[in-house]
Amino acid sequence: MIARFEMSEGGQPDPLARLGERLDRARSEQNRGPSNGGEPPPSGLGLGFRIGIELLASLLVGLALGWVADRFLGTRPWGLVLGFFIGSAAGIMNAFRAAQGLGRGGPRPGA
Amino acid sequence: MIERIVPLHIGSVDISYTNSALLMTIAVALITLLLVAGTRRRAMVPSRLQSIAEMSYEFIAAMVDENIGHEGIEFFPLVFSIFMFVLFGNMLGLIPYSFTFTSHIIVTFALAVFVFLVATLVAFARHGIHFFSFFFPPGAPVFMAPILVPIEIVSYLSRPVSLSIRLFANMMAGHTMMAVFAGFTITLGLFGFFPIAINVALFALEVIVTALQAYVFTILTCLYLRDAVHLH
Repeated sequence: MIARFEMSEGGQPDPLARLGERLDRARSEQNRGPSNGGEPPPSGLGLGFRIGIELLASLLVGLALGWVADRFLGTRPWGLVLGFFIGSAAGIMNAFRAAQGLGRGGPRPGA
Repeated sequence: MIERIVPLHIGSVDISYTNSALLMTIAVALITLLLVAGTRRRAMVPSRLQSIAEMSYEFIAAMVDENIGHEGIEFFPLVFSIFMFVLFGNMLGLIPYSFTFTSHIIVTFALAVFVFLVATLVAFARHGIHFFSFFFPPGAPVFMAPILVPIEIVSYLSRPVSLSIRLFANMMAGHTMMAVFAGFTITLGLFGFFPIAINVALFALEVIVTALQAYVFTILTCLYLRDAVHLH
């Protein structure tokens, strides 16, 4: 639309001649602005959801592994108990990491 | 509600073509249509369709580049497909009388497990046996290994679970909320106007949630692939 506008002005014989220049200028202006990497601002509900799910998922996986171990090793109930504790620990660790990495997808704190 | 459109059984396994599968087919068809039609006339000044296609391409390309790194561009087709599929699945579910296949945990879980397997296989292919060092945080004292390693393994295995639950729960919650308010409309009779007003507001929120959840699913896919490529 801009190109057509300039053509009708009659000042520019070739609207594409300065296109690259204009694009560069627009890009540099865009890059100067505050960039948060396209990350949407986290809402409170989304944050709570994210961390809660992180906790829950690890706990579920820990319990499931413990339960399966019990089933095949016949060690009921110790696998489930152990799985519960390991799952909780992993859940808290994951929630902690999720909370730490919120600003940016950033480096894993464990690394 | 899952309904069987074309009942199919192989042995005792039910592989009927359901309305869920129909919506997936529609989603894939629409994505293909959008990209093919959008890139057919590669105009210097893009049409609306071409703009949409280019914007979605550039959005994901930037995300992949930023999160996995320059060499991560080889995963672009995978990440882009996942993003478009989830996005269209969420969006199509907003149309009345259609069906949201991402609100069923088995669908999101299958997607998440697929991502998880790809990431794990890539990690094995790139790093071989060295991949197992991922389960032991560097710098930790060795005698902590019996505690740390199981915790890290469980935390790694919980990735597909949390990934799938997040998408499923968000889509499910939105739909349940809308259904509850729609139910109020009927029971309230004349005053049913208020729940409808709330539902209109909720609908706008749901549009945001559909896009946001597709974004979250995709960016976590990128992060898992980044871990696979770079380890730590």
